[in-house]
Amino acid sequence: MQQGGNARTGIERRTILKAAGASLAVAGLGATATACGGGSGSADGTVTIRYAWWGGEPRAIAIKKSIALFEKKYPKIKIKPEFTDYEAFWEKFQTQASGGNPPDVFQNAVAFLRKYDKRGVLMDLKTQADAGNLSLDNFRNGVLAAGQADGKQLGVPVGANTMSLVIDLKAFRKAGVQPEFGWTWDEYFEALQTIQDKLKIAGDTGYFTIMYLYDLYLRQNGKAFFTDSALGFTEDDLTRWWEDGYKRVRSGLVADPKKIEQVKPKSGLSAGLAASEFTWDNFSIRYEGEGESDYGLAPIPTTDGKDTGQYLGSLMLSAFTGTQHPKEVAQFIDFMVHDPEVGKIMGYDRGILATTEQYEAYAPSDGPDKGVKAYEEEVAAAGVLGKITPHPSGADVIEAAFLRIGGEVAQGKAKPADAARTLFSEAKAAFAG
Amino acid sequence: MTLVKEAPAPPAGKRAAAPAAGRRGRRRENLAGYLFMSPWIAGFVLLTAGPMIASLYYAFTSYNLFTPPKWVGLDNFTTMFQDPRWQKSVEVTLKYVVVATPLKLLLALGVAMLLAQKRRGQGLYRAAFYLPSLIGASVSVGFVWRALFSDDAIVDRSQKVFGLDVGGWIGNPDYVLYALVALSIWQFGAPMVIFLAGLKQVPRELYEAAEVDGAGPLRRFWNITLPMISPVLFFNVLLESIHAFQVFGSAYVVSDTRCGPADATLVYTCYLYQKGFKEAQMGFASAMAWTLVIAVALVTAVLFWSQKKWVHYEEAAK
Repeated sequence: MQQGGNARTGIERRTILKAAGASLAVAGLGATATACGGGSGSADGTVTIRYAWWGGEPRAIAIKKSIALFEKKYPKIKIKPEFTDYEAFWEKFQTQASGGNPPDVFQNAVAFLRKYDKRGVLMDLKTQADAGNLSLDNFRNGVLAAGQADGKQLGVPVGANTMSLVIDLKAFRKAGVQPEFGWTWDEYFEALQTIQDKLKIAGDTGYFTIMYLYDLYLRQNGKAFFTDSALGFTEDDLTRWWEDGYKRVRSGLVADPKKIEQVKPKSGLSAGLAASEFTWDNFSIRYEGEGESDYGLAPIPTTDGKDTGQYLGSLMLSAFTGTQHPKEVAQFIDFMVHDPEVGKIMGYDRGILATTEQYEAYAPSDGPDKGVKAYEEEVAAAGVLGKITPHPSGADVIEAAFLRIGGEVAQGKAKPADAARTLFSEAKAAFAG
Repeated sequence: MTLVKEAPAPPAGKRAAAPAAGRRGRRRENLAGYLFMSPWIAGFVLLTAGPMIASLYYAFTSYNLFTPPKWVGLDNFTTMFQDPRWQKSVEVTLKYVVVATPLKLLLALGVAMLLAQKRRGQGLYRAAFYLPSLIGASVSVGFVWRALFSDDAIVDRSQKVFGLDVGGWIGNPDYVLYALVALSIWQFGAPMVIFLAGLKQVPRELYEAAEVDGAGPLRRFWNITLPMISPVLFFNVLLESIHAFQVFGSAYVVSDTRCGPADATLVYTCYLYQKGFKEAQMGFASAMAWTLVIAVALVTAVLFWSQKKWVHYEEAAK
């Protein structure tokens, strides 16, 4: 370049260059420092807690209102909310947790308890209960057990829910079919046949790919989807389950999976492709918004005319074992699950409120919430609620595999026996992970 | 760096007079240069080279992100080659590359030849055909594509007119990959522009001479255009196939994040993503990544080797 130029200006230029380079480097370092530092405590004793959950817009609005109440009562604790949808939530959580930086408090579900306990992420909240920062009393119908595994309280339930059959009320009425408590699978599929004959629509959206429904079926037969460390059924069991399912796709009793695929993220039920769908009862609220018919909750079909195999599942709050503010975290969880005002704000969005304080404070006024309440009262009164089995580590991966491989069966792309073998081999890898 | 080349050489006498000062000065300039490059170098080392070396190591370990990686030798690779889903992902990806790349280049070349002719508003046409390349990779176009090829949507309805009723491509494992292929072909703008540049380089005299000799349009294309643009064609084939091997976004979005139905759009990178970020089998995912790197390198090597046979460079003419 300009080698023969004026020496003095050359030096000046270089000095400027160096200064510029150095300041760039410093700026870079500075940025890193700000990003990494910034502890969650401050001089005046205020602490900040990160709280993350998955869910839709209504949940986010309600939770933020609840947080405002909490911050008013505990002015020294600030809550930083983070939320996203289910799949993104767990991908992000996994990355954060592996880097030692998960949120202090987060929404959790039974499929993840052992997984993240094994990885040393979850706090045993019993320690905080013993310290008097959190009450584990007044939980309804033994739902507190949903947060327990291996003698530890790894999550505190915020709501209870159970698997249910959501039906298109108009379609069932038009076909003259009346679901009744204790009806059998045969009666259920006969009902679907009647609907198909009379209304020319499928009866169900694809029951045999839903892990939690197969769990109920197995429980009706003295088994369960998971034992403490493995699958609780055999390849033959699953082969038969999927063979029957595929037969019903072929006959049109179960909706065409190609059509179901294309209405996503809408459900096949609210899209009018089928007259019923198995799902968690607190999800039933979405059908009213999505679909044009009226929807209601119907009993789970049984094997013996009585036992539905149902149990109370739950969304819960868990805490990061490495949090810098265990006491404040416990106080926050306590407030979120016991405070009556929070119960009024949250309603049944995450299931029927788990504690008596919140359950009694909230009187459902809209149709779907009333329906959910009546449904769970009916189920509880029937005395069919069994005990939840904590899932082994890897359950979340297996649930996704069950849906995917079942989908291949439905599409006619895998033979049931081969598909069952595939699921077992993937399950083996998931348990080992 | 062309600037350096163009700068006149310093007078010899001056260089001899102060060799030490010059060397020191150059070293200082180098230092300043490196300082300026430092953000880029830091980024490269921390965000590209470092992770790549780490992933090479992880490829030989079992690593779930939480417990320290455990050395397992070649286990990941042997498991991978026997894994039916991995085989499926290879099959899907190869099908995609082999179908999408030639079709895209054919269309790009065809349109480029039309646009190479002088006509009114040609700038407008070029911009219009290039446009999909700019927006095609975006997530929103993925959603649009999903809507276009769904049951009872525009593609399905148009097909029905001709009696071809498949009930929408998106839900059908036999068709959905071709919706992705269509999305790729639609973005033919980038190779088209390169072809256009290549076509402009072909000397007009060659065509005139050929015409005088009585060569028809096909003959002129085959014996003049194709050999003359073969370096450009080679470049496009290389770039587009490497690109196609790495397809991810369109498969992920069009299939509603599951790369289905029935794994019909399980392209290689999508399976890698599922293994790494959903199932936290980072060792397996790293092994997959390096296998892809090697496979793409091999394909590139074969292409370079093959160019002796069909790519015509002009050195001889000079």
